[in-house]
Amino acid sequence: MEALSQLLTIARWEIKRFSGTMTRDLLPVAIVLLILLVAVSGFITEKGIHLQDGMYRIGVDSPVYLDIIGNDPRYLVYSLPSDIQNIRSMGLDLAIRDGSLLRTNGDKGAAAQKSFERDYQSYVDHLYRQQEDLFAAYPVWIDSEYIVSELDFLATQGGQQVAAPRRATELPPEPDEPETDIAPPSGILPADMDELRIQLEQEAARGTDQLGRYTDILKQQEALGELRIPSMLSPPLPFDTIIFIFVFIFPLYFSSQFFMMSIMNERTLRQGEALIASPVHPVIIVFGKMIPYAGGMLLIVIAILFTVKADITAILPLIPVILFFLSFALFIGMVSRSYKELSFISIFFSTIATSYLFFPSIFANVHIVSLLSPVTLVVHVIDGTGYTLTDYFYSTALFYLTSIILFAICIKNFHEEQLFTEKSLLDTLAMYLGALVSTRYWFLSLILITIMTIPFVFMAQMMYLVLFFNLPMPFSLILIMVLAAFTEEMVKAAGFVALISHRLPVLTWKVVVFSSVLIGFGFLLGEKLLLFATISQIADSIFGAALFLSIGLLWIPFLLHTVTVLCTGTVLKIWGKNALPVGIAIATIVHTVYNLYMLKGWLW
Amino acid sequence: MNLSLVWIIAKKELRSLGSEKTIILAILLQLFIAMFSSFLMVGLSAMYDPSMYGRITGIQYGVGFVGNNSVLFDLFERDSSFKPYKMDPGLALGALKERKLAAVIWPSETSPDADDPVTVTLYTISNDIQSTVIEVKIKDILLEYEDILRDVRKERLDYHPIKVTPSRPVAQNSFYEFIYGLLIPMLLFMPAIISAGLVIDLITEEHQQQTLDTLRSTPATLEEIVCGKILACIAIIPVQAGLWLILLTVNGIRIVSLVEVLLHVVFTSAALIFIAATIAVYYRDRTKAQFIFSTSVIIVLLLLLAFPSNPVNLIVLLASGGAPAYHWAVMGAMIAGCLILSVIVRNMVKKVEYS
Repeated sequence: MEALSQLLTIARWEIKRFSGTMTRDLLPVAIVLLILLVAVSGFITEKGIHLQDGMYRIGVDSPVYLDIIGNDPRYLVYSLPSDIQNIRSMGLDLAIRDGSLLRTNGDKGAAAQKSFERDYQSYVDHLYRQQEDLFAAYPVWIDSEYIVSELDFLATQGGQQVAAPRRATELPPEPDEPETDIAPPSGILPADMDELRIQLEQEAARGTDQLGRYTDILKQQEALGELRIPSMLSPPLPFDTIIFIFVFIFPLYFSSQFFMMSIMNERTLRQGEALIASPVHPVIIVFGKMIPYAGGMLLIVIAILFTVKADITAILPLIPVILFFLSFALFIGMVSRSYKELSFISIFFSTIATSYLFFPSIFANVHIVSLLSPVTLVVHVIDGTGYTLTDYFYSTALFYLTSIILFAICIKNFHEEQLFTEKSLLDTLAMYLGALVSTRYWFLSLILITIMTIPFVFMAQMMYLVLFFNLPMPFSLILIMVLAAFTEEMVKAAGFVALISHRLPVLTWKVVVFSSVLIGFGFLLGEKLLLFATISQIADSIFGAALFLSIGLLWIPFLLHTVTVLCTGTVLKIWGKNALPVGIAIATIVHTVYNLYMLKGWLW
Repeated sequence: MNLSLVWIIAKKELRSLGSEKTIILAILLQLFIAMFSSFLMVGLSAMYDPSMYGRITGIQYGVGFVGNNSVLFDLFERDSSFKPYKMDPGLALGALKERKLAAVIWPSETSPDADDPVTVTLYTISNDIQSTVIEVKIKDILLEYEDILRDVRKERLDYHPIKVTPSRPVAQNSFYEFIYGLLIPMLLFMPAIISAGLVIDLITEEHQQQTLDTLRSTPATLEEIVCGKILACIAIIPVQAGLWLILLTVNGIRIVSLVEVLLHVVFTSAALIFIAATIAVYYRDRTKAQFIFSTSVIIVLLLLLAFPSNPVNLIVLLASGGAPAYHWAVMGAMIAGCLILSVIVRNMVKKVEYS
């Protein structure tokens, strides 16, 4: 009860402090800027973005072709003299002579032709849409139906066409179970013509209007009656998910910046000393300061969802994202020594986090990898598919775990000594780890520290998977394997770093060997626990085998983890803590060699 | 203003950037963004252009074909990527579900010259990259089929488009426009954003850590201190942008007018840095200054992009070759803008110094 009132007091102070920064010299400027922003957005919607203007030069021998080029600003149009032979001599990329399209050699000519062909297609489509008899201009309509097949990730592993037979046989394949109830597809009635025409117009408008296309995505799309003409038959443009990142993730990231600054301000000139010296527990200080920002971020998300009229269930996948940003904001606010360090670390973190959220969601509706990102769930809610509890668990578990662990580490270190240190980033990190070691039960601490690193390892490894899974096969596998081994060895070294930083127990040979065994054990335990809980789907694929090879028999991976971390420990014991990179490098090599040996069945 | 003092301040900032290794983080960040772009390129090209998947070409996909539409069936038969089978709908869909087929096609029984259109129902597997690839390949066949039917029904068309036939075909996908029209300007302006944020940090930090008083007890005036910091931030622009240009060239992406591109980047970035410095000097608080700056930078960039022949557009043209000669005039205007902005910074510093 008392804790609750303390929490609320600190939250109230924080709100007061924050509103104090919105001073008289800031607020009017902010309002003016906001109005300007709206005005400029309106202005640019009208004027268009002039980024690629005049990129290509085209020569035409008749003004009729201007209808095709229209007002595509990418083209500078010249009139073509009738006797010209070499269009390059005029500095042109393209030329139309007697209805025939010529281009110069090289990439630029090809790109110009490609763009022209697109313009030509939309010109032709524009004419066809005006036809009285729409079904003469568009005689074929496609109705796409998607069949759910239960093989999913396993089937497409390695980006191979594993599922469909490599060579089609002479005779049609026989299914084990033929489908029984199938309704024959319904045709199109002539009465539908006008409705389809309107749909084509809308679709075309979406294609040409750069900004309009993006604002439309967020609105629930009128599915084109599921009917499309062949030229529209292409997978949805994956760039569309970028817009979700902009709309949901960036406001959240910017709000978390305020929390980061609030923590940083407590540290500049030791301003927060009084608060830390008070009998209030760090948990209450940290969460009290965080509550206003978390609340604000939730409100922002609700407001956005409300504006785009999306279902409110889209908020659930964003909660772990909010926690994730806040936990990293706390951590970065606590470890950076100067403002520029703060800026760089936070930009760096935000780029990585954004891409972790963004990359997989590109493949929404295409590949199961997409479920790694909570943003995919938001995409699904907005396009009306929804998500299951398993999907939710699968894509948010790592976000929840990493944020909780990071909060725990930061709160454990929310003390004078750690907050007001002038040590460098890596040294501070070592100090934080050291603070987690209990002198009496250091062996237990070691196991715990190692288990705690597992969600971060998984996150990093998922990132590699997402980044590299569509590279050519043996290359992607080897790259993922080396990086995975490196990450694992790096975090296993955390145990030793913590021990050295804590100074007790002294690193004797006996301690080195014993610690290696403990770390190996902890790693295996954590890996197995989390693996079974979350990502069994990926673990079953060949990439999973590369990442989490060490699952099979228990004692072999245990031995591997122990031996590799012993390599690191030995190097540390002999050459001291500055030799850590060498130790990790040696351990990585050993680990990779082992992985290669185990995987060679797949490779050759 | 004592230039040697300005230079000393600038050198000190550059040194501390090096020793704090923050600059390394900045470069790592940019590398990461480049990786992000290459990821997009590899991933998307694989999705849009099936031939990018070397292994997939030469594969023959089995396709279930329901019904008696012989024109469409022949088109599939002729394409070496497909092996169509005439099948019952039940068998075909069952086989698709077990992934023994790549797709099932079920066209309606409409005659080519009928009033109604032909409806083709296309069944593929959901959540699958392979389906995407197949859909792209099937699209080509359906487009051909559309042309055949349109030809049959051409008497019924009211207007006919002007014919333009390419003299030679062009490869399916080209990244030219993406690289020159988007990636290069984005990569080159990354350093500008970083430096502008940096100058805010450098100036507000002296205020908030109360180290400014110590610094001002030296012969350096506030004006010289601020100028030194701005100079340091501008100095790292050509280094970072140049690094990008070198990396792009190594990757076989030719930048046509390298020097001009670099000059445009430096002056446009300098303008941003001056704006950031003015805001930082005025607010003396990082949270406020960064907030105001990030909002105004969006406004300035949007406004810039709304006009043709803006510096970013010119960089695209200079990099791809064929920029108009008046780009020098735009650069001159930008330099003039920088000069005006530098006067504004000085006035702001004076105002703050004596208030």
